[in-house]
Amino acid sequence: MTVGLSGFSYQNPPMAIVRQIIRRGLRDLTLVSGPTAGIETDLLIGAGCVRRVVAAGVAFERIAGIAPMFRYHAERGDIEVWECDECIWYVALKAGAWGVPYLLWPGGVGTSLPELNNELAEIEEGGRRYLRVPAIRPDIVFLHAAEADAFGNVRACRQAYLGRSFAERALAEACAGPVICTVESIVANEQVVAAPEWTVVHGALVAHAPWGAHPGGVSGRYAPDLQHIRAYTRAAIELRRGNDEPYRRYLDAFIHETADHDGYLRAVGDHELRSLRFKAA
Amino acid sequence: MITATGKSHRVTIRGVDEPTATLMVCVVARELRDGQVVAFGLNADAMLSAAMLAQQLHAPDLRIRHGLRAERGMVFGAAAWTDRRDDDSWRRVEYLEAHDAILRTANPGSPMRFCDVFFIGGMQIDREGSTNLIGLKGPDGRLAVRGPGSIGTTSIGTLAADVILFSPEHSPRRFVETVDFVSVPGWKRRAAAGLAGGPRLCITSKAVMDFEDGSMRLLSVHPGSTVEEVVGATGFPLLLGNDIPTTPAPTDAERRALGDLAAEDFRA
Repeated sequence: MTVGLSGFSYQNPPMAIVRQIIRRGLRDLTLVSGPTAGIETDLLIGAGCVRRVVAAGVAFERIAGIAPMFRYHAERGDIEVWECDECIWYVALKAGAWGVPYLLWPGGVGTSLPELNNELAEIEEGGRRYLRVPAIRPDIVFLHAAEADAFGNVRACRQAYLGRSFAERALAEACAGPVICTVESIVANEQVVAAPEWTVVHGALVAHAPWGAHPGGVSGRYAPDLQHIRAYTRAAIELRRGNDEPYRRYLDAFIHETADHDGYLRAVGDHELRSLRFKAA
Repeated sequence: MITATGKSHRVTIRGVDEPTATLMVCVVARELRDGQVVAFGLNADAMLSAAMLAQQLHAPDLRIRHGLRAERGMVFGAAAWTDRRDDDSWRRVEYLEAHDAILRTANPGSPMRFCDVFFIGGMQIDREGSTNLIGLKGPDGRLAVRGPGSIGTTSIGTLAADVILFSPEHSPRRFVETVDFVSVPGWKRRAAAGLAGGPRLCITSKAVMDFEDGSMRLLSVHPGSTVEEVVGATGFPLLLGNDIPTTPAPTDAERRALGDLAAEDFRA
């Protein structure tokens, strides 16, 4: 099954859903994440849920240049990497959204990408070289966002850091099945209608899950919990060195021994969460 | 990492002493021209510092693409996120752009051009300026050390008019004869793929290099380093001219402007 996940660097990963996927023990997933992915991808890999990763990179900026479980399991051959860059990742989703089998893209020629990713091919047309990038259509897409209304209008937050929006729309438009979005808050439709330019996806199935991106951050609402991600990274590095105890303890304490998202939030602690909230939020 | 602490402004690059980090930022700033758009990605705080320095000194209309199109002034920090609780960068946003706008603006013919100058790093950089963020090969030729992935470098590095390589580390394991995997093609691989040009410069903690006939050439050596040291730290034969100057040290004007960057910090 191909699962699309929101999340760019530390921002807006659907972590409440990711943890539930791990509790359910799903296996052999193909993740379409990022395009520069982070903790959502690394944690699912570390928990053994993933067979293939479609991402341009998996990294924890300022903590680990290469996400630790991504590195470990890629080096062992436990996961396949659909090697690409950010543009090629988007091109594949555009092809999926447009209903065409592939698109041509001028970037990536002369690189190792076609050698490492046999779904990419370098071709010549009209005297120029292009990469032929196949369509990708996730079976289901999970997003996390600041807010949505009851009609499935998912909104970016006015107070977002530098006003950024990420891959939410590209994933949703390419998705062959449901688009499910957890949000920090449900807002009135009137609010959406008053400023429709903030709506990034419409028609999503919406679930209220405050702190649903933790330990990632949500643009305009709260910062990524770098302390938590550092602790996670230390546990993962221990595993790579042969001691899997800290990583197993992490999975137990925050996922397997918590029944649901509320249980997770209790395990993290109210004080830790509140210290992450932006003043303007 | 940039530390803007109200009055003073320190430039630091991991693994590089402060005078050298400052010099590297000045070297980058000198390469940026007024009216250009400069772009860089994750973990590129030194680039941000350099771009802002250039804005202060000689390129007031240099536009900085650091995560989004912010054309007047910039915010210190990561491209996509902040952990600053009092962040109010959103008040400075003039133009909202989803990340996938990159597909429309990376085209060199786009009037909304993504960038004129693009900075690239790598786990490996080779003689012809190809870079590798994918990984390192083991003895069996298969990927043995997984890199982060090509991130945004491949397409932008291929399509940008001017590409500059930037590597704090200058060592034989970083500067290799041939990269194990190619994230962004250098001069010869570009030519083979029907593309003109190649990276223009390579700036490290020891030296500045350019390219002659698609091969890296030593242009200047930083104060405190020597030609022999640079040659020894490079895993392939560097082209050497007859007279290799010392990289000009930061000028008083550059030092003053770097200090003034604190005033550009929106928190200051």
